[in-house]
Amino acid sequence: MSTASTEKRHFSINQIIPVVSAIIAIVFVWLGLSKYGFWNEQQGPMSGFYPTIIGIGLFLMSIVGFIFSFKDKTPIFPADSWMAVLGALGIIAASFLIGLIPSAGIYVILWLRWYEKLSWKTTLLTFAVIMAIVIGCFVLWLQVPFPRGMILDAIMK
Amino acid sequence: MENFEFLLHGFQVVFTLENLIATLIGCLLGLIIGAMPGIGSLAGCALLLPLTYRFNPTTAIIMLGGLYYANMFGGSFSAILLNIPGDTPAIMTTLDGYPMATKKKRPGQALLTANFSSFIGGFIGMIILTFTGPALANVGLKFGPVEMTTLLLFAMTSIGWLVGENPTKGLILTLLGMLVASMGMDTLTGSPRYDFGNVYLLGGVPFTPFVIGIVGFSQVILLMEQRNTAPKLVTEKLTLRGSMITKHDVKRLALPAIRGGILGTFVGVLPGAGATAASIMSYSTQKSFKSEEPLGTGAIEGIAASESANNGAAAGAFAPLLALGIPGSGTGAVLLGGLMLWGLNPGPLLFKNSPDFAWGLIASLFIANVLALAVSWGVIPFLIKILSVPTKLLIPIITVVCIVGSYSTSNSMYGVIIMFISGVVGYIMQKFQYSYAPLLLAFVLSPMLESNMRKAFIISRGSVQIFVQKPISLVFLIAIVGIVLFPVVRYFLMRIGVIQPKTAR
Amino acid sequence: MRKGFMLIASLLAITATVPVFAQAAFAPSQNIEWIVTSSPGGGSDIYTRIISDIMTKMNLVNGKTILVTNKTDGGGEVGRLTVSRVPAGRQADHTLLTFNSGDLMPMVANTANRIENFTPIALMAVDKQLLYIGEQAKYKTFAEVIAAVKAGKNVVIAGSKGDDVATYKLLIKELGFSETQLAFITNNATSDAITSILGGHVDLVMSKPAAADQYVLAGKLTPILALSSTRFTGNLASAPTLSEVGPYKNVEYPVWRGVVGPKSMSPAAVKFWSSVFKAVSESEAWKTGYIEKYKLQPFYMDYEQAREYMTDYQADYLKSIGK
Repeated sequence: MSTASTEKRHFSINQIIPVVSAIIAIVFVWLGLSKYGFWNEQQGPMSGFYPTIIGIGLFLMSIVGFIFSFKDKTPIFPADSWMAVLGALGIIAASFLIGLIPSAGIYVILWLRWYEKLSWKTTLLTFAVIMAIVIGCFVLWLQVPFPRGMILDAIMK
Repeated sequence: MENFEFLLHGFQVVFTLENLIATLIGCLLGLIIGAMPGIGSLAGCALLLPLTYRFNPTTAIIMLGGLYYANMFGGSFSAILLNIPGDTPAIMTTLDGYPMATKKKRPGQALLTANFSSFIGGFIGMIILTFTGPALANVGLKFGPVEMTTLLLFAMTSIGWLVGENPTKGLILTLLGMLVASMGMDTLTGSPRYDFGNVYLLGGVPFTPFVIGIVGFSQVILLMEQRNTAPKLVTEKLTLRGSMITKHDVKRLALPAIRGGILGTFVGVLPGAGATAASIMSYSTQKSFKSEEPLGTGAIEGIAASESANNGAAAGAFAPLLALGIPGSGTGAVLLGGLMLWGLNPGPLLFKNSPDFAWGLIASLFIANVLALAVSWGVIPFLIKILSVPTKLLIPIITVVCIVGSYSTSNSMYGVIIMFISGVVGYIMQKFQYSYAPLLLAFVLSPMLESNMRKAFIISRGSVQIFVQKPISLVFLIAIVGIVLFPVVRYFLMRIGVIQPKTAR
Repeated sequence: MRKGFMLIASLLAITATVPVFAQAAFAPSQNIEWIVTSSPGGGSDIYTRIISDIMTKMNLVNGKTILVTNKTDGGGEVGRLTVSRVPAGRQADHTLLTFNSGDLMPMVANTANRIENFTPIALMAVDKQLLYIGEQAKYKTFAEVIAAVKAGKNVVIAGSKGDDVATYKLLIKELGFSETQLAFITNNATSDAITSILGGHVDLVMSKPAAADQYVLAGKLTPILALSSTRFTGNLASAPTLSEVGPYKNVEYPVWRGVVGPKSMSPAAVKFWSSVFKAVSESEAWKTGYIEKYKLQPFYMDYEQAREYMTDYQADYLKSIGK
């Protein structure tokens, strides 16, 4: 490979997917061959047969993808978008403590009132609609046993 | 024609006020359950089962049948309006339904297309079910592990039509989907595989939370970018009149819907295939037919192909269920369990011993089909209002629905965590121009392919010959070779001048 | 603020008094969560729902509702682990788990979870398997099957996971065949196995009487070997046991169906539940609507006997797989 062309090729986040998929492929092939077995003379394919073949295919495609990835435009990941991720993460984390439904309710209020800076009226209206769907359909009708969280579990003991 | 008389008799059984109300309630519940992500018809039927003990078996089962059936209609609602498939068979509907509703600003037409195609697909399935009944079920039985392997291989090669403009990216995701799907318990040996010592991974990656994340939650993250520039998904005023589909639309949806219905019915009859696989196969088949707009950009043909196939499959699945007592899906298993609790034995003797019941159920499916169409048509004006809700409000609403829905699939936080991770991964993938369709498709078909292939090898004691010895399997193998060789052959024919390249003109 | 404090204080007061009641005698005071680790509509699910239905109809649970929850993650391991870890308290006394031999085997083989992490409550019934042939079968009797295998023919049995695999291993050991001579295909459920024999893709199918019943009635399946020490009754009576077929010992791998609770369940609650299950096992609805209908054998054991039985069973099984 000529140095002239590699100079231009800066590694960037563009390579992340092919690299990650190649690593996954290597792990699956290695485990497949070493741990789960490939082919049995009498019975044909074993546990690792299929994943190993697919893994080899994925590894080869990842190399092709890696080469092509230098031509891609680098996408922008706006900070705003990650707020949605953080919000969901917050619900998940809080649900272990105070339960899933209260976490979701608090999230909706915090999000609309403090993050989006909407009026109390809109916030509470949206809150009421979401809670009506969740409690009405999922809790009362479908009887989904949502986690109550550690605090309530301790009190209910 | 004998069957037709039986069907008429079935209608007489069903046409009591009580039964009609039961079917109507079943349809309404089915639409709601279908529209709610995470809760599929399986949970809906399982929950309703205890309530129906008090009814007579015919009333109870047609209520469940109506629920199961209308569920397929409901699944498309959230797929089209929120880009979250309400149930898994509606995955392919998101690909064209959501762009049609938001980018093309035709949400009403998208919903109506879905409803009409569902109706057509279901109707075709029921007609086939009525006239072939047990015979249809026997065709399904011909597909053993060997035949299923080659059929699935055939279906997988048609993924080629789905990967789109960037084959490398499409293939990477297809293979990745196959690897992720192989995690968990290996049923053939009963031993864990790729569980990395984690007790949750022992059961593999659960499909529904995975889909909710990769399709729905990633959508929320993407919406964050445009919530200030585009305050609403659709700003125009949406009226019922403005939502009517045109004659031209009907023309576009008719053929794909009929094809999808026939294909879907057939796939529904096959052991273990189900409605999700049916809609995937139908959608990728549509790629090889002419569509007015490219699939994936909001094409009516795409919605029609997917929705008609999953309803066709839902109807087709009743053939093995009633005629042989073989449940084609989890929901089928619950219906079967219900039948047994009422002292009915679905199976080879059902049509002989309880004809009232069997034909009543089939007749009730016809009625459920009409009722579901009417009810869903009626709610469209209210539903499309969702799209005029400001994006800023939709973001927290969809987030909560994704979390609650993914929790409900298995009643565990594991589902929520899978949803969250796959949502973030899905978002990153889409930013890099990877489309998630091949990933989901591989995830559904790959486990079936693997287990059937390994069963075939156990039967043949590791010999590959078995795949050419069975006629059905041989036909599919030839078709696969044809698909793979087609571009090569065409290239050579062009080289030697037998056919003219299109661009030469 | 003040109101909130009062509420918490009164809640604490109530919770403080609950253990006093619990020690005296236990009665359900909230909804009962009953976990099944297999899919709705399957054998275990039907078993659970029939019992919960009988309990509700006979008013054995103090008028409370029984919520049957299917937790199928991790082949059921996640549900089992969750139940084993429920902390002591009111929730633990209101949590039940359907537990069969087919649940115990994969659990101890694939995870570190053991029966000691649960409180056995009762055993209810025993199920056994048979081998059936389809309509277009190449071999009409089990003697023909043995002869064909000895002649080097490919013979394939289809069955379900868990206890079917265990029975199969016992069978080939007794016959002196290897896994390649007489092969076994593990399916996710017996219904899948039956599908493949109806299509003529395998030679034999292993099933419990319940799942195969209707096919036998319709003449689609014929039993040719009872995997039991005695013959079955009724329409299954024609199938001989293995010792009748040739110079072999009978092969029997009893499949029991039971119920357990979390390890932390209070002794009073265990006694209560054990007696409730006893009442169910003696009811007419259970005898005709389950045992007779699905051709099982009644096998009630209270919590003490069940604990002993399940522990012994686990020890035997662990020894058999060399763990």
